[in-house]
Amino acid sequence: MSFAIASSVEEALEALDSGARPIAGGTDLVVGARQGKGGLPESIVAIDRIAELAEIGVADGGLRIGAGVTHARLMTEPAVVDRYTALADAAALVGSPATRNVGTLGGNVMNSSPAMDTGAPLMTFGAVAELRSTSGTRTVALDELWTGPGKNSSQENELCVALVLPDLGERAGSAYVRLEYRRAMEIAVVGAAATVQLDADGNFESARVALTAVAPKIIEVSGIADVVAGKANDDALGALVYAQAAEQATPISDLRAGEEYRRHCVGVMARRAVEAAARRASGETIAVPVNRALGVGANA
Amino acid sequence: MTTTELPIFNRADGPDKVTGTGRYAADISLTGMLAAKFKYAGIAHGKIVKIDTSAASAMPGVFAVLTADDVPDVRYSAVIADRRLFAKDVVRFEGEVVAAVAALTPELAQAAVDSIEVTYEELPAVNDIESALAEGSPLVHDQFDTYGVTDDTRMAANDAYVSTLSFGDAEAALKSADIVVSGRFVADASHAVPIEPRAVVAQWEGNKVTVWTSTQVPFDARNGICETLEMPANRVRVIVPHLGGGFGGKCGFHFEAHIAALAKAARRPVKLVFSRMEEFLAPDRRREGMVIDITTGLNSDGTIVARKAWIALDNGAYCSDSAFFPQMAAMHVLGPYKVPNTHVESHLVYTNHQPSGSVRAPTAPQGCWAVETHTDELANAVDMDPVEFRKLNCVGTGDAGAMGQVYEEIALQECIERAAAAAGYGQDLPENEAIGLAVGWWPSFPGASGSYIKLDGDGSGQIITGAQECGTGAVMTLPYLAAEQLGMQPEDFELVYQDTSAAPYDTGATGSQTLLNNGRAVQEAAIMIAGQLKDLAAEHLEASAGDIVLADGAASVAGSPDRNVTIAALAEIAGGGELLIGHGSGAPPDYPDNAVGATCLGDQGVAAWVGPQFMCHAARVRVDRDTGVARVLNVAAAHDNGTIINMTGATGQIEGGILMGIGQALTEGTQYSDSGKQLNAALLEYKLQTSADAPEISIEFVQINTPGAGPNGAKGLAEAPNVPTAAAVSCAIAKVIGEPVRQLPMTAERVWKTA
Amino acid sequence: MSENTELENLELKVNGVSYPLALEIDRNLSGVLRTEVGLTGTKEGCDDCECGACMVLLDGQPINSCSYLAVQAQGRDITTVEGLIDGDELHPLQRNILAAGGVQCGFCTPGMLMSAQALLERNDSPTEDEIRIGLSGNLCRCTGYAKIVTAVQATAVELRS
Ligand SMILES: Cc1cc2nc3c(=O)[nH]c(=O)nc-3n(C[C@H](O)[C@H](O)[C@H](O)COP(=O)(O)OP(=O)(O)OC[C@H]3O[C@@H](n4cnc5c(N)ncnc54)[C@H](O)[C@@H]3O)c2cc1C
Ligand code: FES
Ligand code: FES
Repeated sequence: MSFAIASSVEEALEALDSGARPIAGGTDLVVGARQGKGGLPESIVAIDRIAELAEIGVADGGLRIGAGVTHARLMTEPAVVDRYTALADAAALVGSPATRNVGTLGGNVMNSSPAMDTGAPLMTFGAVAELRSTSGTRTVALDELWTGPGKNSSQENELCVALVLPDLGERAGSAYVRLEYRRAMEIAVVGAAATVQLDADGNFESARVALTAVAPKIIEVSGIADVVAGKANDDALGALVYAQAAEQATPISDLRAGEEYRRHCVGVMARRAVEAAARRASGETIAVPVNRALGVGANA
Repeated sequence: MTTTELPIFNRADGPDKVTGTGRYAADISLTGMLAAKFKYAGIAHGKIVKIDTSAASAMPGVFAVLTADDVPDVRYSAVIADRRLFAKDVVRFEGEVVAAVAALTPELAQAAVDSIEVTYEELPAVNDIESALAEGSPLVHDQFDTYGVTDDTRMAANDAYVSTLSFGDAEAALKSADIVVSGRFVADASHAVPIEPRAVVAQWEGNKVTVWTSTQVPFDARNGICETLEMPANRVRVIVPHLGGGFGGKCGFHFEAHIAALAKAARRPVKLVFSRMEEFLAPDRRREGMVIDITTGLNSDGTIVARKAWIALDNGAYCSDSAFFPQMAAMHVLGPYKVPNTHVESHLVYTNHQPSGSVRAPTAPQGCWAVETHTDELANAVDMDPVEFRKLNCVGTGDAGAMGQVYEEIALQECIERAAAAAGYGQDLPENEAIGLAVGWWPSFPGASGSYIKLDGDGSGQIITGAQECGTGAVMTLPYLAAEQLGMQPEDFELVYQDTSAAPYDTGATGSQTLLNNGRAVQEAAIMIAGQLKDLAAEHLEASAGDIVLADGAASVAGSPDRNVTIAALAEIAGGGELLIGHGSGAPPDYPDNAVGATCLGDQGVAAWVGPQFMCHAARVRVDRDTGVARVLNVAAAHDNGTIINMTGATGQIEGGILMGIGQALTEGTQYSDSGKQLNAALLEYKLQTSADAPEISIEFVQINTPGAGPNGAKGLAEAPNVPTAAAVSCAIAKVIGEPVRQLPMTAERVWKTA
Repeated sequence: MSENTELENLELKVNGVSYPLALEIDRNLSGVLRTEVGLTGTKEGCDDCECGACMVLLDGQPINSCSYLAVQAQGRDITTVEGLIDGDELHPLQRNILAAGGVQCGFCTPGMLMSAQALLERNDSPTEDEIRIGLSGNLCRCTGYAKIVTAVQATAVELRS
């Protein structure tokens, strides 16, 4: 085995070229190895001390978030909390303070679990992943990046350096809600993110909704924009969102929940996410995470 | 809970624990020490065709490989001798130990274990309590009839034990009752989950072995080693370092002999440290799953006239101390109610699951959950408020309970009133909230227990006790009792405990019995020293011993306080002469007449209780109707546990017990695969409550003078708070959603399905 | 782990003391602290990073040392429970958790103290709910948490004044 600590992206990329796998917070990689889910890679390069990966900056009116930014930072960073609130909602729900302290956005995205919490918010923002290797940089849309549980389309020698979030425009708001059986240390049984834009009258102009843990990867609910267009944020709208999300989910039954229950709950989560996102878009402040602020499930 | 006031409570083991210097079993390292790993069955039921350990034995760095062939062929167990240290011929649950290895490192030991090849002929797994009782079910023990158990405690093929409780004529009373309500309740198995996974270290010197182990019951562990390795008690020394919790999970004899045998074979000290998964799968202690059918008959005025019940308990593959479970479960399904006619049939059923054993108030939370949920249905049936219904039917001082025991002074009625008041029962609540209230009870267990005390020449004291501390603070409370008798301060005493070769016998940290029994022993030992001190003082002060008073660290003559001498000075005198040594064991209080009107098959002596404890919990619960997720907002607890000696310790037990109860209510349940294997043997999937989940808790003790209780009128305490919480939560959920959830834990999905 | 022959030479700084060590790369920090470094106050209670008994501070922030590579901790300040005491003087958190009765079996206590310490470093006047969330990665089976929360509240008050 070999281990190196990279101090720059270039150093990390060279290590990847010679076969190393990156480790950031290690909260997926090391925990997985300890549980016997597969040993550690033969060669590891630590990327948690690369200053560039921890940067958050404005790009094209949107936000470029370094892959090494931790969940603890995401949930408090004003640019994220104010404009991409669903991402802060998600980050605030990850594990415990210790998990959030070292776990990174890049690690969450590249681990590519269908239960990852930051995935659905990023998807509804239309975010792209910036992948870099010694031969250059490319950006990949998230629905092309994730290919299945724990699988993604990045090359072995590519490092995710950032997630790039586009400008969401005027009167936009977002929220991420997940089902939790207890108030902390949970994993998403199901979850849903919504990003919405309102028109000048406060009715929906458009919306995107993505779902956590109801398919082999994070999925976006299709047709939501048409469902919401021109409508008010009310119970009737909520019922439509519920139906659309529940219908498109393809959940499994496992020890955490049965298929029928998951399908129902993801509809509920989608409805709640859209409702909270619209309230935020209309200027209301709902504290992060929405789960706790609104009293969703056990989080009241 | 916003108070920042700190009550005073000095734990003798406190500084060790907060500084990280206190040693737990896994922290012990000895020169030359090897690591142990077990080969587990990995299947729920199978015939062993062949065990091939040759590759393991040949590995460099492996010092010992043991199977059933390498230890004495002893069948053992607390009640039914149905198991051996290592599986022989048949494996009966996935966590059964088939072989053990000692090697230089844990990794090497694991590699050796992995190289052991066991060939099985798989047998159908008995995976469900009810089908286990059906005719033609595969047998978990096909040699049961050779285990020497009398046949009348068996009705069906996989019964390990059957108990019936009968009083009056339930059949006839049900026929003539105005209203009859029936219900079925199913509780999943669950786990104790102490945060410390167990560890065992064994070292031989000559023909004597010392074993450091995380056990709640050092004397049981010692006796188990003696029985299985065929050794006399005086050559086996069991020492318990600090113990990281137990909750019953570390009661009984488990792996001490395996490690002692490995150390003997390897001629080196050997250490075993469990992973969390092993802690979930291997010990023969988990909380039993139960199926409960209850039928109750009422008069139209709401008085209970009869109850019939049928209970089946999942014993798992082997019988630990679980033989008393059927009768205990029956008592809980009857509850602390006046029920003039009863008939309960209760089966302890072998399955191919991990064995069940005493976990914090065994059978009680499940039984209480069922009967209290049912009680709310009874109240509804006669249109009575559940609190009024309980006040009408629960036992009070002088009443006869379900099995005819007449209770002397008890405070259950007052507990109901106080818990209801503290919870604000009856107030208007949001439509998704309700307050559920449940009553429960639990016996005190008198038993033999001993202690020594010595006062050294400098006047400092040591209590050398057989009692075991598992965190509850029960042992930590003993200095209070000694100090009280001797007119000294608790801080004047240090404790020497958890060493079977240093101290006299005690049952251990089990059955909430420490203060009840060992407290008596310590008092008696202290009284003996008090006598010695008084004699010495009498001589010194030229007074009669009968006039000497011990107080404030001095002996003085009654009525003339300036004629005094310090206890330290007396101790110095004694230090050059007769020495101040006391010992005590105290006579256990008598059991109440057991057979009071009862016809009991399989009587295990728990149909009438010494020093019964009573409690009432009221839980305010909010239910997210859309998802079924329930959250407990607050719990008001009112307890009759007799006199409270250490208030901080007592409230700590209640708070911990309530949170465990909430876990049982909502998130803690073992799930099994179709082949009888546990699916959620990890803390992410077996969910304990976190600090963020814990509700506000208010506690009141109704302290009354209980006849037959322990020292200063104290009863047991550590198990009681675990009894009624899940039941109270259940009653609240049923109120919100209009229907009880009939399966425990009442997971979000089950609540949603029921609503 | 058994097949690793390559050792990484490194220095770990624990409670202000530097330890030169040669370690396999896949060693978890908790194991190294408990054996090579010789400080057994850090506990291990689970296999899936859920219990928090192993909590230590890395540059003042909490990590689950059971699931953190020891080699990745080089060059950082590691604080374990043994580093809380100042000479013979208990840290206010240690004193207050004892006084409140927040210690029973004590197995969760070291990790709990580390999380509490990190929380108070971040936030000197946490609300009760902030304390509860701050300690939510530390499971305690004994206490029901109430007295632990009280102790943290009392410490916050004490440290502010
Ligand atoms: C107790 C606990 C609770 C958790 N709770 C949650 C939760 O609630 N929600 C949730 O979504 N997750 C949860 N997780 C999972 C995990 O914490 C997150 O996925 C975290 O964001 C992973 O980040 P990391 O930096 O620790 O990743 P690492 O473990 O370091 O890496 C994960 C994977 O991504 C790769 N990788 C990391 N960074 C990059 C990069 N920049 N480019 C390319 N590949 C990279 C690694 O090679 C590895 O394969 C939990 C984990 C634990 C231990
Ligand atoms: S040992 Fe349980 S979280 Fe680290
Ligand atoms: S004190 Fe025992 S686990 Fe917390």
